[in-house]
Amino acid sequence: MLSSNLNDSDLDRLGLETPIARIDRALKQLWEGDEAKTRASLINLAIYTEDGCQLMTDNELLDHVAAQHACRALLILALPEAQPPRARAWIQALCRPYQGKQVVCSEQISFVLEGGDAAQVQNIVFAHLDSDLPLVVWWQGDLSKNFEERLYSRIDTLIIDSSRWSDPAHQFDALLAAMNAETGGFDVRDLAWTRSHFMRTALATCFQDATSCQNLARLQSIRITHLTGQRTTALLLAAWINQRLKAALSVELIEKDTGPALQGLVLEGPGVRGEVRRECDSCFVRVSSTCGENTREELLPADVDSDAELVSELLSRFHGSTLYSSMLPFVRSMLK
Amino acid sequence: MPELENPFQETLLSRHRAEPCSVVIFGATGDLTHRKLIPAIYNIAAAGDLPPQFKVVGFARRDKTDEGFRTELETGNRQNSRQGHNDELWKSFSQCIHYHRSEFEDLEGYKALGRLLDQFDAERGAPANRLFYLAAAPEAFRPILEMIRAAGLNQGTNGKWARVVCEKPFGKDLATAQGLNAVVAATFAEKDTYRIDHYLGKETAQNIMVLRFANSIFEPNWNSRYIDHVQITCAENLGMEGGRGGYYDTAGALRDMVQNHLLQLVSLVAMEPPTDLSADSVRDEKVKVIRALRPLVGPEAVGKNVVRAQYTAGSVDGVARVGYRQEDRVNPESTTEPYVALRLMIDTWRWQGVPFYIRVGKQLPKKATEISVHFKKPPQVPFATSSMLKNSENTLVIRIQPDEGIALRILCKQPGQAMSMQQVKMDFRYSSSFGKASPEAYERLLLDAMAGDATLFARRDEVENAWRFVDEIEKAWHKSDTPPPMHEYPAGSWGPKEADDLLRADGREWRLL
Repeated sequence: MLSSNLNDSDLDRLGLETPIARIDRALKQLWEGDEAKTRASLINLAIYTEDGCQLMTDNELLDHVAAQHACRALLILALPEAQPPRARAWIQALCRPYQGKQVVCSEQISFVLEGGDAAQVQNIVFAHLDSDLPLVVWWQGDLSKNFEERLYSRIDTLIIDSSRWSDPAHQFDALLAAMNAETGGFDVRDLAWTRSHFMRTALATCFQDATSCQNLARLQSIRITHLTGQRTTALLLAAWINQRLKAALSVELIEKDTGPALQGLVLEGPGVRGEVRRECDSCFVRVSSTCGENTREELLPADVDSDAELVSELLSRFHGSTLYSSMLPFVRSMLK
Repeated sequence: MPELENPFQETLLSRHRAEPCSVVIFGATGDLTHRKLIPAIYNIAAAGDLPPQFKVVGFARRDKTDEGFRTELETGNRQNSRQGHNDELWKSFSQCIHYHRSEFEDLEGYKALGRLLDQFDAERGAPANRLFYLAAAPEAFRPILEMIRAAGLNQGTNGKWARVVCEKPFGKDLATAQGLNAVVAATFAEKDTYRIDHYLGKETAQNIMVLRFANSIFEPNWNSRYIDHVQITCAENLGMEGGRGGYYDTAGALRDMVQNHLLQLVSLVAMEPPTDLSADSVRDEKVKVIRALRPLVGPEAVGKNVVRAQYTAGSVDGVARVGYRQEDRVNPESTTEPYVALRLMIDTWRWQGVPFYIRVGKQLPKKATEISVHFKKPPQVPFATSSMLKNSENTLVIRIQPDEGIALRILCKQPGQAMSMQQVKMDFRYSSSFGKASPEAYERLLLDAMAGDATLFARRDEVENAWRFVDEIEKAWHKSDTPPPMHEYPAGSWGPKEADDLLRADGREWRLL
């Protein structure tokens, strides 16, 4: 029994338990004798968590992401406080059908590291990468003391979810410090930011025509309705709007107990109004904009909701973006 | 009034945004509209990439209501949409679809179309751009363009643009292409003319430039010093099903496929690096390749470098097939070629002495379009005899369809005590590496036309130079006293023996697909 309340039947779902020193050999054996399987890999995708309750959810999540993005998947549960120190590993193939006969598979290696430190995490990650492929690390929860320079200096893309941070102001400071460090050349993808993608696209549609554009200067307020626990997501959206408008519109956040992360956005001023509204169970958003007496409505796709789908989407748009980084100081000031 | 920039339109998008517009489809009741165009626009909408207040107007001769037209299109969309059909989205999306009945030669019909587009602009509160899509039969292009001009619809108003998209075939020879280009040019500026070639919208075709110019291992070797020859195969395992014999028998493989799709692929493989990725920079380089094709003039040159053939009865996938001349709507005395193989030479510094072998045909064993670049063998391999090196050159294969991807064939040492070599293949498949399906070629091309990016469309000089090259071959076949022979091959085989001989004479052979 692990200190994280994981039992052996849960751990069985991680695949075949393998001594860490024999992982490479075990992976090789996994592919021997089954010519119908094709191993594919475009990235190294590591999920790091210090929450034992998250392990099985992450295991399913990797299965989903690997179906869209062939990868070497590393699932790392670090329990720095657990005693006695112990490191265990499991391997499995994440497979999906391909053209009806073959299967295309990604490799997953899962680690449970009890009582280890930052150096142990680094060694584990660096020893099991698929060489020459980019390293994407999804760091779940707070950027703990294990998130240190020797690790992040090797990361190509860091995925975080700032809406789940316990102290966003402190965590944004830590993130900015790492990004600004001499060796911190990684790209950051924040799920809280990705969650607002559909709202931003819809808002752009609201003010696409010349008449609406002319009235942007009259906007005075932003009202965002969000799910409880998604305050940072809403703040990021508000910061982006103010940044794009080079303005300081008043911001009102309304929390709801149920529904999608972002449910509504209203921008208002004298004679001009833009609204993006998402119903609970709809995969579309209704967009309406009013300029004077002219009102128009449209239906646009809403983005996906689950973390797995968000990460898949995010990996599909894998081109660099400085927009998020440029917005962080705005968000940081709103968190004061 | 200067256009204001929408500050919410994130400027870091990796592609152009489509601009607000109305699209008018001429020939809207045809198969292309139902199978390709509307599903493509629907999928653009499903991805959220459609510009706001977008309108589609179907223009055709038959009597229909908006509702009736939408219902017909819904059926087509259910069958053909890449991402499936969502009732809620269709309900909203279909409201942007309208139908306008008119004869193609009736000026009043075009004036009424203009009033309808003006009405849409009034509802928007601002004028919008206009995209005219010619999906009608080619013989209707001329009257449609003339009427668009006569009705004044070819002029963008209030700073908005008016563009035209022309479907293939763009002419049936140089003279008709020039005639058509003259009509187009009298109606739209070249920058507003988009001649569609759906091969260029395919992911792997676009990837040719990335492969060549973004990977430093290929471009230094991409010349006559290291490349022995290039093969391009476009094989179809179908014949003239669905009544297509009627059109095909007037065209043939050379006009239907080589003049457009295959010469476009040749130009992408052979072009010099463009100075930038603007439409004209890319097309400038492509047209240089077409202009550098060594002309095949006269029956002798054509006979030596081109093989034409018709299939005889045979079987494909175990199913019996009739011969070409026995096909539905094909002239029993037909001299049209459903198969052609060519040896092309490109007279440039880079490609001196490197033949490009092209073959395209119907009723071949399988459906596949591939480009293979065959590198020269090393000058000496100390541990191999010449027989061990037979057919062992490094080959880079770019699969256009199906199963888009790239493969590289190299030689490796076989495990064991002996120094034996074996060919192995490194294989990259889009579908296994990227779980997400690529957009349909028409989605990409329609969005590009709406965004004003003509890179993946053929320019006037490309089309005319391609016809100039092809016309000489047609002339040798159909207008000379000693035309090169029409060969035969059984349906289900890889073409006539003479096509194999074309390569064998150069000490080469067709790659086995």
